[in-house]
Amino acid sequence: MEYEPVIGLEIHMQLNCATKMFCDCANLPGEKPNSSVCPICLWMPGAIPQFSREALEKATLTCLALNCEINLRSAFDQKVYYYPDLPKGFQLSQFHRQLAKNGWLDIIDEEGKPRRLRIHEIHMEEDVAKLVHETEGQKRISLVDFNRAGAPLVEIVTEPDMRSPYDAMEFLRALRTQIWYVNTADCSMETGTMRADANISLRPKGTDELNTKVEVKNMNSIRAVGSAIIYEIERQTEELRAGRPIILHTRLWDPAKNITTPMRGKFSGPCVPDPSVPDVILTEELLSEIRSRLPEMPAQKKARFMQEFELTEEEASLMSADREVADYFETVIQEHIAPRTTAQWISARLLPAIKDRGQTISETAVTPKRFSALLAMVEREEINSSAAREALDLLFESDKTPEAIVEEHHFRQIGDADQLEAVLDRIIAENPDAVENFKKGKTQAAGFLIGQAMRASKGKANPKLLREILDARLKSS
Amino acid sequence: MNEKIFFHWESSPQTKEKDGPLSGVKIAIQPNLSVRGWPTEAGSPALEHYIALEDATVISRIRKAGAMLVGSTHMSELGFGLVGDTAGSALAEGLCDAALVTDTLGEARVASIPAGAIGYKPSYGISSRLGLIGLIPSMETIGVIARSPEIIVRIMQTISGPDPEDFSMLSEGFPDFTRIKNGAYPVKTIGIIRESQDALPSSELEAFQGALALLSDRGFEIQDLSLPDFRLFRIVHQVVGSAEASSDAGKYDSVRYGHRADGTENWNEMYLKSRTESFGLLVKSYLFQGAYFQFKNYPAFGDACRIRRSLAQETRSLFDTVDVILLPTRHLGAVPAKANTVAHVYDAFSLTCPANVTGMPAVSLSGFVKCGEVDLGLQILGPHLSDPRILSFASILLSSRKGDE
Repeated sequence: MEYEPVIGLEIHMQLNCATKMFCDCANLPGEKPNSSVCPICLWMPGAIPQFSREALEKATLTCLALNCEINLRSAFDQKVYYYPDLPKGFQLSQFHRQLAKNGWLDIIDEEGKPRRLRIHEIHMEEDVAKLVHETEGQKRISLVDFNRAGAPLVEIVTEPDMRSPYDAMEFLRALRTQIWYVNTADCSMETGTMRADANISLRPKGTDELNTKVEVKNMNSIRAVGSAIIYEIERQTEELRAGRPIILHTRLWDPAKNITTPMRGKFSGPCVPDPSVPDVILTEELLSEIRSRLPEMPAQKKARFMQEFELTEEEASLMSADREVADYFETVIQEHIAPRTTAQWISARLLPAIKDRGQTISETAVTPKRFSALLAMVEREEINSSAAREALDLLFESDKTPEAIVEEHHFRQIGDADQLEAVLDRIIAENPDAVENFKKGKTQAAGFLIGQAMRASKGKANPKLLREILDARLKSS
Repeated sequence: MNEKIFFHWESSPQTKEKDGPLSGVKIAIQPNLSVRGWPTEAGSPALEHYIALEDATVISRIRKAGAMLVGSTHMSELGFGLVGDTAGSALAEGLCDAALVTDTLGEARVASIPAGAIGYKPSYGISSRLGLIGLIPSMETIGVIARSPEIIVRIMQTISGPDPEDFSMLSEGFPDFTRIKNGAYPVKTIGIIRESQDALPSSELEAFQGALALLSDRGFEIQDLSLPDFRLFRIVHQVVGSAEASSDAGKYDSVRYGHRADGTENWNEMYLKSRTESFGLLVKSYLFQGAYFQFKNYPAFGDACRIRRSLAQETRSLFDTVDVILLPTRHLGAVPAKANTVAHVYDAFSLTCPANVTGMPAVSLSGFVKCGEVDLGLQILGPHLSDPRILSFASILLSSRKGDE
């Protein structure tokens, strides 16, 4: 029998708020242990949680960016369990009445077809403390760092709409793109500000069954989510083929061995309404104010880039996936650089160069102004593209203008017809075979001759002009 | 003698404010209200050696108003019930003018009776709970016991009002305690809930009806009301209260403060052994009940929450036709100071816990309902936020009694 995987994701996302969710402590989980704590997040006796308005606003903006319906009234519950990372014996989370429901994200699946993946709900919750295990002499000890306790999170629960590891990875990429646009979270799986757990079950292909699922945790990159799902599909397929039933439990992804290992039975403690945190109430006014903060989102931007600037679909995707790249792109084309040229240069040259240098597009020395000046010289045919590539590298090293760099390194291309004719004469004389071939109709021979001429000019010849002269010369001879 | 009554005693209580509204008023508290630097064990081994880090909001307010904090009295574990409580004795012995007593089931009202005093439980949400170490967040309020309603009014003028750090409070509509003197809160009609008397033996019923007859003679109109679900108050309190208590006491895990058991091998053992040693039998069995509702019988908890809302609504509608409702404060049969099982506690507080379930204010007066030698207390209930009206009515009853004597 052939099986089909049914996959859903549960994603914890740490909001980039200034403070924790229920107190005024700075939201800096990575600082010196226990440096950002107070009686509330340590849950000292007599403390009362104070729900943060910023957390509510950022959580709401997150839900809107993910196309959710917002519940104007939601509430916090206590998720009860005992563990040293939980200072009060329960976690404040929205179980019975969540902030948002019925969202979706569009992806393009492996076969190139557009798919809408649904989000079941999004709720707010506080993060827990971090346990550090050490040894003191012979003795093993556990230390608790409460900096992360109370950090503001949203948990995004999808419908089991994904059918392949690819779908799951695409969903996470689309999710990250949306959230980066609204800038409510950093979404780094590597540093743990985004954590994705996958629920995976199998069913006979072509049926609508929802079978017992297994939860997989501990993936620290989008790629690892894909690998863990691939492994889990294979493992469950083998189990089913061997006639062993799948049992509801949680497994841990082991990135070193590329396997999942069983961890524990799935948690199912009680969730009781919290008596101390009042219901969360959003007014229509506040909701529409938050809605007005939504920027133009990637899908809209992509459509506009295709229509307004005549970019191809691929170019438009590349230019709209990241809000800062999109802003960069639009700033450059305001300097009257052709949009398609700009898009190609940004994706093929600029972004890889920035990545190689470990920089980001917002902080790189190659500002939109300098980059557009460089492209303007290409457009005016003052330099050719190979010289422009070299000049781009040099733009990273100094703060000189592109014009100054071009002068200094003699990148300006040779646009003087007399000079180019002299070069070509020599090349034609040296390569009679190629000339013969061209005359026999082998047009690629012209490319060879142009290449030789470019090399002879140390890359500075204007290739367009060179071609015109060569064509005229070969036809006349 | 002081050590029998006081858990912590200030040998020379100070006040900087000489002309404040509470200047010269000596106030005792319980060791579950945070006073910076005071031992604050809330009557529980779970808080062994715990010293409060900051003043509770009500403490900073009464201090600023000029009150002298004389110390904290002994209290029942986490304020649940009255076993071991000495707040009433401190008042009876003249060691303070008023005591702040946490009222979770009716403790402030019941504790005032042996002292021959007045016990008051405010409306839920009008005074800050920041710095209060309690057990059942949605039921408990900081009550006051004193010898006159006037002192209670002065204290409430000081402590009631919004606290931006207590998000569980009201945001507006606070009662105005300053208008009591002007007679702004008249009482004409008194209601009696028929079902509240069903369980009373005839001797107690007679004592209560004697008090009503006097009021009727003085021209108050007395109305018979019916609340068929009256018997559900204590059940709802127990189911919701124990579940909340189970969560609330979850913070006593021995990791950050409080009692930590010796000789354990890992954190799980440390938890189990520390918590085993951290609670007395009464609180421990109450926490077990709460854990049962949370983990094993959540539907019962959900039902209790729904019944709580409908009880609050039914009770509120009773006040459509009456200004206040009267009932005794306690029974003859159950002795609150000795109630050391959950069942006995709920027997002893069955007449006071309705105010905690609904959040309405209540006052208990001594000397009006006497059954032989035992004072059962006369309880005045008003709708939520009617605190000035019931305190004003208490004042009228007390001054008319002086006239009789």
